[in-house]
Amino acid sequence: MIKRLLHIEQIKLLNYNPFRITLGIYFLAFALGLLIYPAIDKEIPVISLSDLFRFPDVWLFLTWITEPYNLLLALVIIMITTKEFNHHTFKTQLVFGLSRTELLLQKLILIVVLALFATLLLGATSLTLGLIYSYKITLSIALDNTYTLFRYFLSSFAYMSMGLLVALLIKNTAMSLLTFLAFRTFIDPVLFLVLRKSEVKWYLPMRTTTQLTPVPNVIEIFQKKLNSPDTVDESSLEIIPEGLPDWLNILMVVLFTSLAIWASYRLMQRRRFV
Amino acid sequence: MSEILSIQGLSKSYKSVKAVQNLSLQISEGQAYGILGPNGSGKTTTLSIVTGILRQDGGSFRWFGEAPEASQRKSIGSLIETPHFYPYLNLEKNLRIICDIKGMAYGDIHRVLKTAKLYERRRSRFSTLSLGMKQRLGIAAALLGDPRVLVLDEPTNGLDPEGIAEVREVVLEQVKQGKTLILASHILSEVEKICNHVAILKKGELLANGPVKELLAEDEIIELSCSNNEKLKEKLGNSGLVKELETENGLLVLTLKDKITPAEINAFAFEQKLVIHHLVSRKRSLESQFLELVKEEE
Repeated sequence: MIKRLLHIEQIKLLNYNPFRITLGIYFLAFALGLLIYPAIDKEIPVISLSDLFRFPDVWLFLTWITEPYNLLLALVIIMITTKEFNHHTFKTQLVFGLSRTELLLQKLILIVVLALFATLLLGATSLTLGLIYSYKITLSIALDNTYTLFRYFLSSFAYMSMGLLVALLIKNTAMSLLTFLAFRTFIDPVLFLVLRKSEVKWYLPMRTTTQLTPVPNVIEIFQKKLNSPDTVDESSLEIIPEGLPDWLNILMVVLFTSLAIWASYRLMQRRRFV
Repeated sequence: MSEILSIQGLSKSYKSVKAVQNLSLQISEGQAYGILGPNGSGKTTTLSIVTGILRQDGGSFRWFGEAPEASQRKSIGSLIETPHFYPYLNLEKNLRIICDIKGMAYGDIHRVLKTAKLYERRRSRFSTLSLGMKQRLGIAAALLGDPRVLVLDEPTNGLDPEGIAEVREVVLEQVKQGKTLILASHILSEVEKICNHVAILKKGELLANGPVKELLAEDEIIELSCSNNEKLKEKLGNSGLVKELETENGLLVLTLKDKITPAEINAFAFEQKLVIHHLVSRKRSLESQFLELVKEEE
Protein backbone atom coordinates (compact mmCIF):
# COMPACT_ATOMS: atom_id res chain seq x y z
CA MET A 1 0.00 0.00 0.00
CA ILE A 2 2.84 2.36 0.88
CA LYS A 3 4.35 1.85 -2.55
CA ARG A 4 1.01 2.60 -4.19
CA LEU A 5 0.48 5.81 -2.19
CA LEU A 6 4.01 6.93 -2.97
CA HIS A 7 3.48 6.27 -6.64
CA ILE A 8 0.35 8.44 -6.63
CA GLU A 9 2.37 11.28 -5.08
CA GLN A 10 5.10 10.70 -7.63
CA ILE A 11 2.69 11.21 -10.55
CA LYS A 12 1.30 14.35 -8.95
CA LEU A 13 4.68 15.87 -8.10
CA LEU A 14 6.98 15.10 -10.97
CA ASN A 15 4.59 16.80 -13.37
CA TYR A 16 3.96 19.79 -11.14
CA ASN A 17 6.01 22.79 -12.22
CA PRO A 18 6.28 24.63 -8.89
CA PHE A 19 7.68 21.40 -7.44
CA ARG A 20 10.20 21.00 -10.25
CA ILE A 21 11.31 24.61 -9.85
CA THR A 22 11.67 24.38 -6.07
CA LEU A 23 13.59 21.14 -6.42
CA GLY A 24 15.78 22.81 -9.03
CA ILE A 25 16.55 25.69 -6.68
CA TYR A 26 17.30 23.17 -3.96
CA PHE A 27 19.82 21.31 -6.13
CA LEU A 28 21.32 24.55 -7.33
CA ALA A 29 21.82 25.69 -3.74
CA PHE A 30 23.75 22.52 -2.96
CA ALA A 31 25.78 22.70 -6.14
CA LEU A 32 26.65 26.35 -5.47
CA GLY A 33 27.86 25.29 -2.06
CA LEU A 34 30.34 22.98 -3.70
CA LEU A 35 31.55 25.60 -6.17
CA ILE A 36 31.31 28.91 -4.36
CA TYR A 37 32.91 28.21 -0.98
CA PRO A 38 36.21 27.13 -2.49
CA ALA A 39 36.11 30.23 -4.72
CA ILE A 40 35.63 32.60 -1.78
CA ASP A 41 38.51 30.86 -0.09
CA LYS A 42 41.05 32.32 -2.51
CA GLU A 43 40.16 35.85 -1.53
CA ILE A 44 40.62 35.52 2.20
CA PRO A 45 44.26 35.33 3.32
CA VAL A 46 45.50 33.56 6.46
CA ILE A 47 42.22 31.95 7.41
CA SER A 48 41.15 29.31 4.99
CA LEU A 49 37.50 28.37 4.63
CA SER A 50 38.66 25.01 3.48
CA ASP A 51 39.56 24.30 7.10
CA LEU A 52 35.87 24.01 7.64
CA PHE A 53 35.54 21.41 4.92
CA ARG A 54 37.83 18.92 6.60
CA PHE A 55 36.70 15.79 8.27
CA PRO A 56 35.14 15.69 10.77
CA ASP A 57 34.22 19.40 10.86
CA VAL A 58 32.61 19.40 7.44
CA TRP A 59 29.60 17.45 8.74
CA LEU A 60 28.68 20.04 11.35
CA PHE A 61 29.49 23.00 9.18
CA LEU A 62 27.46 21.95 6.15
CA THR A 63 24.56 20.81 8.31
CA TRP A 64 24.39 24.27 9.78
CA ILE A 65 24.80 26.03 6.41
CA THR A 66 22.18 23.96 4.59
CA GLU A 67 19.57 23.95 7.33
CA PRO A 68 17.52 26.76 5.73
CA TYR A 69 17.16 24.62 2.60
CA ASN A 70 14.78 22.48 4.61
CA LEU A 71 12.39 25.39 4.57
CA LEU A 72 12.12 24.99 0.80
CA LEU A 73 10.99 21.41 1.32
CA ALA A 74 8.38 22.55 3.84
CA LEU A 75 7.13 25.07 1.26
CA VAL A 76 6.78 22.23 -1.26
CA ILE A 77 4.65 20.27 1.20
CA ILE A 78 2.48 23.33 1.84
CA MET A 79 2.03 23.97 -1.88
CA ILE A 80 1.03 20.45 -2.85
CA THR A 81 -1.29 20.01 0.14
CA THR A 82 -3.15 23.27 -0.32
CA LYS A 83 -3.44 22.56 -4.06
CA GLU A 84 -5.37 19.39 -3.21
CA PHE A 85 -7.93 21.64 -1.56
CA ASN A 86 -7.90 24.11 -4.45
CA HIS A 87 -8.42 21.41 -7.06
CA HIS A 88 -10.87 19.43 -4.88
CA THR A 89 -8.71 16.39 -5.53
CA PHE A 90 -8.86 15.15 -1.93
CA LYS A 91 -12.53 14.59 -2.71
CA THR A 92 -11.77 12.67 -5.91
CA GLN A 93 -9.30 10.42 -4.11
CA LEU A 94 -11.81 9.72 -1.35
CA VAL A 95 -14.55 8.85 -3.83
CA PHE A 96 -12.35 6.38 -5.67
CA GLY A 97 -11.42 4.51 -2.54
CA LEU A 98 -8.74 6.13 -0.37
CA SER A 99 -9.58 6.59 3.28
CA ARG A 100 -8.98 9.86 5.08
CA THR A 101 -6.15 8.22 6.98
CA GLU A 102 -4.57 7.17 3.69
CA LEU A 103 -4.82 10.75 2.43
CA LEU A 104 -2.67 11.81 5.39
CA LEU A 105 -0.38 8.80 5.10
CA GLN A 106 0.28 9.76 1.49
CA LYS A 107 1.71 13.09 2.58
CA LEU A 108 3.63 11.62 5.52
CA ILE A 109 5.30 9.05 3.28
CA LEU A 110 6.26 11.85 0.95
CA ILE A 111 7.71 13.81 3.87
CA VAL A 112 9.85 10.84 4.92
CA VAL A 113 11.08 10.35 1.35
CA LEU A 114 11.96 14.03 0.92
CA ALA A 115 13.70 14.13 4.31
CA LEU A 116 15.74 11.03 3.41
CA PHE A 117 16.59 12.56 0.07
CA ALA A 118 17.73 15.81 1.70
CA THR A 119 19.82 13.90 4.22
CA LEU A 120 21.47 11.78 1.55
CA LEU A 121 22.24 14.86 -0.50
CA LEU A 122 23.83 16.55 2.50
CA GLY A 123 25.74 13.36 3.28
CA ALA A 124 27.05 13.06 -0.27
CA THR A 125 28.03 16.75 -0.42
CA SER A 126 29.82 16.64 2.93
CA LEU A 127 31.62 13.45 2.00
CA THR A 128 32.78 14.90 -1.32
CA LEU A 129 34.07 18.13 0.22
CA GLY A 130 35.65 16.24 3.09
CA LEU A 131 37.50 13.94 0.74
CA ILE A 132 38.77 16.90 -1.28
CA TYR A 133 39.95 19.12 1.60
CA SER A 134 41.11 16.77 4.34
CA TYR A 135 44.86 16.27 4.78
CA LYS A 136 44.58 13.04 6.60
CA ILE A 137 41.72 10.67 6.17
CA THR A 138 41.09 7.84 8.55
CA LEU A 139 37.81 6.10 8.92
CA SER A 140 37.32 7.22 12.51
CA ILE A 141 38.02 10.88 11.72
CA ALA A 142 35.93 10.81 8.56
CA LEU A 143 32.93 9.30 10.27
CA ASP A 144 33.13 11.34 13.44
CA ASN A 145 30.21 13.77 13.71
CA THR A 146 28.12 11.90 11.12
CA TYR A 147 25.39 11.65 13.79
CA THR A 148 24.58 15.18 12.68
CA LEU A 149 22.92 13.66 9.61
CA PHE A 150 20.31 12.19 11.89
CA ARG A 151 19.68 15.66 13.34
CA TYR A 152 19.37 17.01 9.83
CA PHE A 153 16.82 14.34 8.93
CA LEU A 154 14.82 15.18 12.04
CA SER A 155 14.99 18.90 11.29
CA SER A 156 13.79 18.34 7.73
CA PHE A 157 11.00 16.01 8.91
CA ALA A 158 9.93 18.50 11.60
CA TYR A 159 9.73 21.47 9.22
CA MET A 160 7.70 19.53 6.69
CA SER A 161 5.31 18.16 9.35
CA MET A 162 4.70 21.67 10.62
CA GLY A 163 4.17 22.80 7.03
CA LEU A 164 1.62 20.04 6.54
CA LEU A 165 -0.29 21.11 9.63
CA VAL A 166 -0.35 24.75 8.52
CA ALA A 167 -1.60 23.69 5.05
CA LEU A 168 -4.39 21.51 6.47
CA LEU A 169 -5.36 24.26 8.88
CA ILE A 170 -5.45 27.18 6.44
CA LYS A 171 -6.12 25.44 3.09
CA ASN A 172 -5.22 28.54 1.08
CA THR A 173 -1.79 28.33 -0.59
CA ALA A 174 -0.58 31.91 -0.23
CA MET A 175 -1.90 32.31 3.30
CA SER A 176 -0.33 29.03 4.39
CA LEU A 177 3.05 29.92 2.93
CA LEU A 178 2.95 33.32 4.59
CA THR A 179 1.90 31.93 7.95
CA PHE A 180 4.63 29.31 7.91
CA LEU A 181 7.34 31.75 6.91
CA ALA A 182 6.08 34.32 9.40
CA PHE A 183 6.44 31.73 12.14
CA ARG A 184 9.99 30.91 11.16
CA THR A 185 11.26 34.42 10.51
CA PHE A 186 9.11 36.62 12.70
CA ILE A 187 6.72 35.18 15.28
CA ASP A 188 9.10 32.63 16.78
CA PRO A 189 12.09 35.04 16.94
CA VAL A 190 9.94 37.81 18.45
CA LEU A 191 8.59 35.42 21.06
CA PHE A 192 12.18 34.41 21.72
CA LEU A 193 13.06 38.02 22.46
CA VAL A 194 9.95 38.61 24.54
CA LEU A 195 10.73 35.55 26.62
CA ARG A 196 14.46 36.24 26.76
CA LYS A 197 14.56 36.31 30.56
CA SER A 198 12.72 33.03 30.82
CA GLU A 199 13.97 29.54 30.07
CA VAL A 200 10.73 28.97 28.15
CA LYS A 201 12.28 30.71 25.16
CA TRP A 202 14.27 27.55 24.40
CA TYR A 203 11.08 25.51 24.11
CA LEU A 204 9.56 27.31 21.11
CA PRO A 205 8.85 24.91 18.21
CA MET A 206 10.89 26.68 15.55
CA ARG A 207 13.71 27.48 17.95
CA THR A 208 14.12 23.87 19.05
CA THR A 209 14.15 22.84 15.40
CA THR A 210 16.87 25.34 14.44
CA GLN A 211 18.79 24.28 17.56
CA LEU A 212 18.98 20.78 16.06
CA THR A 213 21.61 22.10 13.68
CA PRO A 214 23.36 24.72 15.79
CA VAL A 215 26.03 27.20 14.80
CA PRO A 216 29.39 25.45 15.07
CA ASN A 217 32.16 27.31 16.89
CA VAL A 218 33.88 28.52 13.79
CA ILE A 219 36.04 31.07 15.62
CA GLU A 220 37.74 28.40 17.60
CA ILE A 221 39.06 26.54 14.62
CA PHE A 222 40.51 29.68 13.10
CA GLN A 223 42.11 30.63 16.39
CA LYS A 224 43.79 27.27 16.60
CA LYS A 225 44.96 27.68 13.08
CA LEU A 226 46.41 31.14 13.76
CA ASN A 227 48.20 30.08 16.89
CA SER A 228 49.96 27.20 15.23
CA PRO A 229 49.82 27.76 11.52
CA ASP A 230 52.03 24.84 10.61
CA THR A 231 50.46 22.03 12.54
CA VAL A 232 48.08 19.81 10.77
CA ASP A 233 45.53 19.84 13.47
CA GLU A 234 42.44 17.75 13.02
CA SER A 235 40.55 19.99 15.35
CA SER A 236 36.96 19.15 15.78
CA LEU A 237 34.36 21.87 15.72
CA GLU A 238 32.56 22.39 18.91
CA ILE A 239 29.05 23.52 19.21
CA ILE A 240 28.66 26.72 21.19
CA PRO A 241 26.77 25.52 24.24
CA GLU A 242 23.44 27.21 24.21
CA GLY A 243 19.86 26.36 25.03
CA LEU A 244 18.55 23.02 26.13
CA PRO A 245 20.67 19.96 26.67
CA ASP A 246 20.97 18.05 23.46
CA TRP A 247 18.75 15.12 24.39
CA LEU A 248 16.00 17.41 25.71
CA ASN A 249 16.11 19.52 22.56
CA ILE A 250 15.75 16.42 20.36
CA LEU A 251 12.95 15.19 22.58
CA MET A 252 11.14 18.51 22.24
CA VAL A 253 11.38 18.41 18.44
CA VAL A 254 10.06 14.84 18.40
CA LEU A 255 7.25 15.98 20.66
CA PHE A 256 6.35 18.99 18.48
CA THR A 257 6.49 16.86 15.34
CA SER A 258 4.24 14.21 16.88
CA LEU A 259 1.82 16.93 17.94
CA ALA A 260 1.79 18.38 14.41
CA ILE A 261 1.08 14.94 12.92
CA TRP A 262 -1.61 14.19 15.48
CA ALA A 263 -3.31 17.54 14.82
CA SER A 264 -3.03 16.93 11.06
CA TYR A 265 -4.68 13.55 11.54
CA ARG A 266 -7.56 15.09 13.45
CA LEU A 267 -7.99 17.81 10.84
CA MET A 268 -7.94 15.29 8.00
CA GLN A 269 -10.69 13.27 9.68
CA ARG A 270 -12.89 16.33 10.11
CA ARG A 271 -12.30 18.40 6.99
CA ARG A 272 -15.09 18.78 4.48
CA PHE A 273 -13.75 18.04 1.03
CA VAL A 274 -16.78 19.13 -0.99
CA MET B 1 -31.07 -10.27 -5.72
CA SER B 2 -28.35 -9.39 -3.27
CA GLU B 3 -28.29 -6.09 -1.46
CA ILE B 4 -26.01 -3.40 -2.87
CA LEU B 5 -26.79 -0.31 -0.87
CA SER B 6 -29.06 0.01 2.08
CA ILE B 7 -29.69 3.41 3.64
CA GLN B 8 -31.37 3.63 7.03
CA GLY B 9 -32.78 6.86 8.47
CA LEU B 10 -30.03 9.04 6.98
CA SER B 11 -29.99 12.70 8.08
CA LYS B 12 -27.70 15.61 7.29
CA SER B 13 -28.03 19.31 8.04
CA TYR B 14 -26.01 22.31 6.96
CA LYS B 15 -26.51 24.76 9.78
CA SER B 16 -30.24 25.52 9.59
CA VAL B 17 -30.89 23.73 6.31
CA LYS B 18 -32.01 20.14 6.59
CA ALA B 19 -30.46 18.63 3.48
CA VAL B 20 -31.52 15.04 4.08
CA GLN B 21 -34.14 13.95 6.57
CA ASN B 22 -34.57 10.41 7.79
CA LEU B 23 -34.02 8.89 4.37
CA SER B 24 -34.22 5.14 3.90
CA LEU B 25 -33.59 3.34 0.60
CA GLN B 26 -32.82 -0.21 -0.47
CA ILE B 27 -30.96 -0.82 -3.69
CA SER B 28 -30.45 -4.35 -4.97
CA GLU B 29 -28.06 -5.90 -7.45
CA GLY B 30 -28.89 -5.17 -11.06
CA GLN B 31 -31.30 -2.33 -10.37
CA ALA B 32 -31.09 0.90 -12.27
CA TYR B 33 -32.12 3.12 -9.42
CA GLY B 34 -33.02 6.72 -10.10
CA ILE B 35 -33.02 9.37 -7.41
CA LEU B 36 -35.25 12.09 -8.74
CA GLY B 37 -35.83 15.46 -7.25
CA PRO B 38 -35.62 19.17 -7.94
CA ASN B 39 -32.48 21.15 -7.14
CA GLY B 40 -31.76 21.22 -3.44
CA SER B 41 -33.71 18.07 -2.68
CA GLY B 42 -30.74 16.30 -1.11
CA LYS B 43 -29.68 14.04 -3.98
CA THR B 44 -26.05 15.10 -4.04
CA THR B 45 -25.83 15.18 -0.26
CA THR B 46 -27.10 11.60 -0.09
CA LEU B 47 -24.65 10.38 -2.71
CA SER B 48 -21.80 12.34 -1.09
CA ILE B 49 -22.46 10.57 2.18
CA VAL B 50 -22.53 7.08 0.70
CA THR B 51 -19.35 7.76 -1.28
CA GLY B 52 -17.45 8.90 1.80
CA ILE B 53 -17.13 12.61 1.06
CA LEU B 54 -19.51 13.76 3.78
CA ARG B 55 -20.33 12.44 7.21
CA GLN B 56 -23.98 12.00 8.08
CA ASP B 57 -25.47 13.53 11.23
CA GLY B 58 -27.73 10.56 11.83
CA GLY B 59 -28.68 7.20 10.42
CA SER B 60 -26.48 4.67 8.69
CA PHE B 61 -25.82 2.96 5.40
CA ARG B 62 -24.34 -0.32 4.29
CA TRP B 63 -22.58 -1.24 1.08
CA PHE B 64 -22.84 -4.86 -0.05
CA GLY B 65 -24.40 -5.72 3.31
CA GLU B 66 -21.39 -4.52 5.27
CA ALA B 67 -20.54 -1.46 7.31
CA PRO B 68 -19.03 1.27 5.10
CA GLU B 69 -15.28 1.21 4.49
CA ALA B 70 -13.05 3.10 2.09
CA SER B 71 -11.97 -0.09 0.30
CA GLN B 72 -15.58 -0.84 -0.77
CA ARG B 73 -15.47 2.27 -2.94
CA LYS B 74 -12.84 0.60 -5.10
CA SER B 75 -15.59 -1.53 -6.61
CA ILE B 76 -17.88 1.45 -7.09
CA GLY B 77 -17.47 3.89 -9.97
CA SER B 78 -18.64 7.32 -8.90
CA LEU B 79 -19.15 10.71 -10.39
CA ILE B 80 -20.38 13.17 -7.79
CA GLU B 81 -21.26 16.63 -9.10
CA THR B 82 -18.53 18.04 -11.33
CA PRO B 83 -15.47 15.84 -11.76
CA HIS B 84 -12.27 17.12 -10.16
CA PHE B 85 -8.86 16.14 -11.45
CA TYR B 86 -5.33 17.57 -11.45
CA PRO B 87 -5.50 20.40 -13.99
CA TYR B 88 -1.80 20.23 -14.89
CA LEU B 89 -1.81 16.48 -15.57
CA ASN B 90 -2.95 14.99 -18.85
CA LEU B 91 -5.98 12.71 -18.99
CA GLU B 92 -3.97 9.53 -19.01
CA LYS B 93 -1.95 10.49 -15.94
CA ASN B 94 -5.07 11.58 -14.10
CA LEU B 95 -6.61 8.18 -14.75
CA ARG B 96 -3.38 6.47 -13.66
CA ILE B 97 -3.85 8.04 -10.26
CA ILE B 98 -7.34 6.55 -10.08
CA CYS B 99 -5.94 3.14 -11.14
CA ASP B 100 -3.32 3.37 -8.39
CA ILE B 101 -5.98 4.22 -5.83
CA LYS B 102 -8.06 1.25 -6.95
CA GLY B 103 -4.98 -0.94 -7.03
CA MET B 104 -5.41 -1.95 -10.67
CA ALA B 105 -3.17 -2.03 -13.73
CA TYR B 106 -3.23 0.81 -16.26
CA GLY B 107 -4.51 -1.45 -19.05
CA ASP B 108 -8.10 -0.27 -18.83
CA ILE B 109 -7.37 3.42 -19.36
CA HIS B 110 -7.47 3.39 -23.16
CA ARG B 111 -10.76 1.51 -23.21
CA VAL B 112 -12.59 3.99 -20.97
CA LEU B 113 -11.10 6.96 -22.81
CA LYS B 114 -12.40 5.51 -26.07
CA THR B 115 -15.82 4.92 -24.51
CA ALA B 116 -15.92 8.54 -23.41
CA LYS B 117 -14.68 9.66 -26.86
CA LEU B 118 -11.63 11.29 -25.31
CA TYR B 119 -8.96 8.95 -26.63
CA GLU B 120 -7.60 11.54 -29.07
CA ARG B 121 -7.21 13.99 -26.19
CA ARG B 122 -5.47 11.56 -23.85
CA ARG B 123 -2.28 13.62 -23.78
CA SER B 124 -4.03 16.95 -23.21
CA ARG B 125 -3.96 18.54 -19.82
CA PHE B 126 -7.20 18.30 -17.89
CA SER B 127 -7.36 22.10 -17.67
CA THR B 128 -7.61 22.39 -21.46
CA LEU B 129 -10.84 20.39 -21.68
CA SER B 130 -14.24 21.92 -22.22
CA LEU B 131 -16.91 21.52 -19.57
CA GLY B 132 -18.59 18.69 -21.45
CA MET B 133 -15.29 16.88 -21.96
CA LYS B 134 -14.49 17.17 -18.26
CA GLN B 135 -17.84 15.63 -17.51
CA ARG B 136 -17.12 12.79 -19.94
CA LEU B 137 -13.73 12.21 -18.29
CA GLY B 138 -15.59 11.93 -14.98
CA ILE B 139 -17.70 9.19 -16.51
CA ALA B 140 -14.61 7.50 -17.98
CA ALA B 141 -13.04 7.49 -14.51
CA ALA B 142 -16.20 5.97 -13.06
CA LEU B 143 -16.05 3.18 -15.65
CA LEU B 144 -12.39 2.32 -14.87
CA GLY B 145 -11.98 -1.27 -13.82
CA ASP B 146 -15.51 -2.19 -14.86
CA PRO B 147 -17.02 -1.69 -11.37
CA ARG B 148 -20.16 -3.61 -10.40
CA VAL B 149 -21.85 -0.44 -9.16
CA LEU B 150 -22.04 2.98 -10.79
CA VAL B 151 -23.01 6.04 -8.78
CA LEU B 152 -23.68 8.96 -11.10
CA ASP B 153 -24.83 12.36 -9.94
CA GLU B 154 -26.31 14.41 -12.77
CA PRO B 155 -24.02 12.76 -15.36
CA THR B 156 -25.38 14.76 -18.28
CA ASN B 157 -24.85 18.14 -16.63
CA GLY B 158 -23.17 20.61 -18.93
CA LEU B 159 -23.32 18.36 -21.98
CA ASP B 160 -24.71 19.31 -25.37
CA PRO B 161 -27.65 17.29 -26.75
CA GLU B 162 -25.32 14.96 -28.62
CA GLY B 163 -23.24 14.45 -25.51
CA ILE B 164 -26.35 13.76 -23.46
CA ALA B 165 -27.44 11.09 -25.92
CA GLU B 166 -23.97 9.50 -25.90
CA VAL B 167 -23.73 9.42 -22.14
CA ARG B 168 -27.17 7.89 -21.87
CA GLU B 169 -26.15 5.25 -24.35
CA VAL B 170 -23.03 4.41 -22.36
CA VAL B 171 -24.99 4.25 -19.12
CA LEU B 172 -27.76 2.15 -20.64
CA GLU B 173 -25.16 -0.26 -21.95
CA GLN B 174 -23.86 -0.70 -18.39
CA VAL B 175 -27.39 -1.34 -17.16
CA LYS B 176 -27.91 -3.94 -19.88
CA GLN B 177 -24.74 -5.69 -18.75
CA GLY B 178 -26.38 -6.11 -15.38
CA LYS B 179 -24.46 -3.44 -13.49
CA THR B 180 -26.19 -1.74 -10.61
CA LEU B 181 -26.76 1.93 -11.32
CA ILE B 182 -27.58 4.68 -8.88
CA LEU B 183 -28.44 7.80 -10.82
CA ALA B 184 -29.37 11.14 -9.36
CA SER B 185 -31.12 13.55 -11.66
CA HIS B 186 -33.57 16.39 -11.74
CA ILE B 187 -34.51 15.48 -15.28
CA LEU B 188 -37.52 13.26 -15.31
CA SER B 189 -37.11 11.94 -18.82
CA GLU B 190 -33.55 10.88 -18.02
CA VAL B 191 -34.68 8.76 -15.09
CA GLU B 192 -37.56 7.41 -17.09
CA LYS B 193 -35.33 6.40 -20.00
CA ILE B 194 -32.55 4.82 -17.98
CA CYS B 195 -33.96 3.58 -14.69
CA ASN B 196 -36.33 0.82 -13.69
CA HIS B 197 -36.69 1.97 -10.10
CA VAL B 198 -37.10 5.47 -8.77
CA ALA B 199 -37.11 7.35 -5.50
CA ILE B 200 -38.49 10.86 -5.49
CA LEU B 201 -36.94 13.32 -3.06
CA LYS B 202 -38.05 16.73 -2.02
CA LYS B 203 -36.37 18.95 0.56
CA GLY B 204 -34.42 15.97 1.79
CA GLU B 205 -37.43 13.77 2.32
CA LEU B 206 -38.52 10.70 0.45
CA LEU B 207 -41.86 11.37 -1.22
CA ALA B 208 -42.30 8.11 -3.02
CA ASN B 209 -40.33 5.19 -4.34
CA GLY B 210 -41.05 2.16 -6.42
CA PRO B 211 -40.75 0.76 -9.94
CA VAL B 212 -40.70 3.45 -12.60
CA LYS B 213 -43.64 1.83 -14.37
CA GLU B 214 -45.87 2.13 -11.35
CA LEU B 215 -44.73 5.45 -10.05
CA LEU B 216 -44.43 7.30 -13.28
CA ALA B 217 -47.04 5.26 -15.19
CA GLU B 218 -48.39 7.14 -18.12
CA ASP B 219 -52.13 6.96 -17.81
CA GLU B 220 -53.71 7.58 -21.14
CA ILE B 221 -56.53 10.04 -20.97
CA ILE B 222 -58.85 10.81 -23.88
CA GLU B 223 -61.72 13.19 -24.28
CA LEU B 224 -64.52 12.37 -26.64
CA SER B 225 -67.96 13.34 -27.69
CA CYS B 226 -70.56 11.34 -29.63
CA SER B 227 -74.17 11.47 -30.67
CA ASN B 228 -75.33 10.40 -27.21
CA ASN B 229 -72.81 11.07 -24.49
CA GLU B 230 -75.03 9.86 -21.64
CA LYS B 231 -75.60 6.49 -23.23
CA LEU B 232 -71.94 6.02 -24.07
CA LYS B 233 -70.98 6.94 -20.52
CA GLU B 234 -73.28 4.30 -19.14
CA LYS B 235 -72.05 1.63 -21.58
CA LEU B 236 -68.39 2.44 -21.00
CA GLY B 237 -68.90 2.33 -17.25
CA ASN B 238 -69.82 -1.32 -17.54
CA SER B 239 -67.32 -2.21 -20.26
CA GLY B 240 -64.22 -2.68 -18.12
CA LEU B 241 -62.16 -0.62 -20.53
CA VAL B 242 -61.75 2.52 -18.44
CA LYS B 243 -60.46 3.41 -15.01
CA GLU B 244 -62.19 6.71 -14.57
CA LEU B 245 -65.04 8.39 -16.33
CA GLU B 246 -66.14 12.00 -16.03
CA THR B 247 -68.09 14.61 -17.89
CA GLU B 248 -66.33 17.88 -18.45
CA ASN B 249 -67.84 20.77 -20.44
CA GLY B 250 -70.06 18.41 -22.37
CA LEU B 251 -67.18 16.08 -23.16
CA LEU B 252 -66.50 12.63 -21.76
CA VAL B 253 -63.06 12.38 -20.17
CA LEU B 254 -61.83 8.81 -19.79
CA THR B 255 -58.76 7.45 -18.11
CA LEU B 256 -57.97 4.25 -19.98
CA LYS B 257 -56.94 1.03 -18.39
CA ASP B 258 -53.50 -0.31 -19.23
CA LYS B 259 -52.96 -1.37 -22.82
CA ILE B 260 -56.35 -0.10 -23.97
CA THR B 261 -56.03 2.11 -27.01
CA PRO B 262 -58.34 4.90 -28.20
CA ALA B 263 -59.07 2.74 -31.26
CA GLU B 264 -60.65 0.10 -29.04
CA ILE B 265 -62.89 2.74 -27.48
CA ASN B 266 -63.91 3.89 -30.93
CA ALA B 267 -64.70 0.32 -32.00
CA PHE B 268 -66.65 -0.24 -28.80
CA ALA B 269 -68.76 2.88 -29.39
CA PHE B 270 -69.38 1.80 -32.95
CA GLU B 271 -70.65 -1.58 -31.74
CA GLN B 272 -73.09 0.33 -29.56
CA LYS B 273 -74.17 2.20 -32.70
CA LEU B 274 -72.83 5.44 -31.35
CA VAL B 275 -70.76 7.58 -33.67
CA ILE B 276 -67.88 9.44 -32.11
CA HIS B 277 -67.31 12.82 -33.69
CA HIS B 278 -64.64 14.11 -31.34
CA LEU B 279 -61.73 12.13 -29.93
CA VAL B 280 -58.58 13.72 -28.55
CA SER B 281 -55.83 12.03 -26.64
CA ARG B 282 -54.85 14.00 -23.56
CA LYS B 283 -51.67 12.27 -22.44
CA ARG B 284 -50.78 13.31 -18.97
CA SER B 285 -47.15 14.11 -19.35
CA LEU B 286 -44.67 12.67 -16.89
CA GLU B 287 -43.45 16.13 -16.28
CA SER B 288 -46.78 17.30 -14.97
CA GLN B 289 -47.13 14.13 -12.94
CA PHE B 290 -43.72 14.69 -11.40
CA LEU B 291 -44.57 18.28 -10.67
CA GLU B 292 -47.85 17.16 -9.17
CA LEU B 293 -46.06 14.69 -6.94
CA VAL B 294 -43.64 17.29 -5.78
CA LYS B 295 -46.30 19.96 -5.32
CA GLU B 296 -48.68 17.82 -3.29
CA GLU B 297 -46.50 18.18 -0.25
CA GLU B 298 -46.38 21.93 -0.27
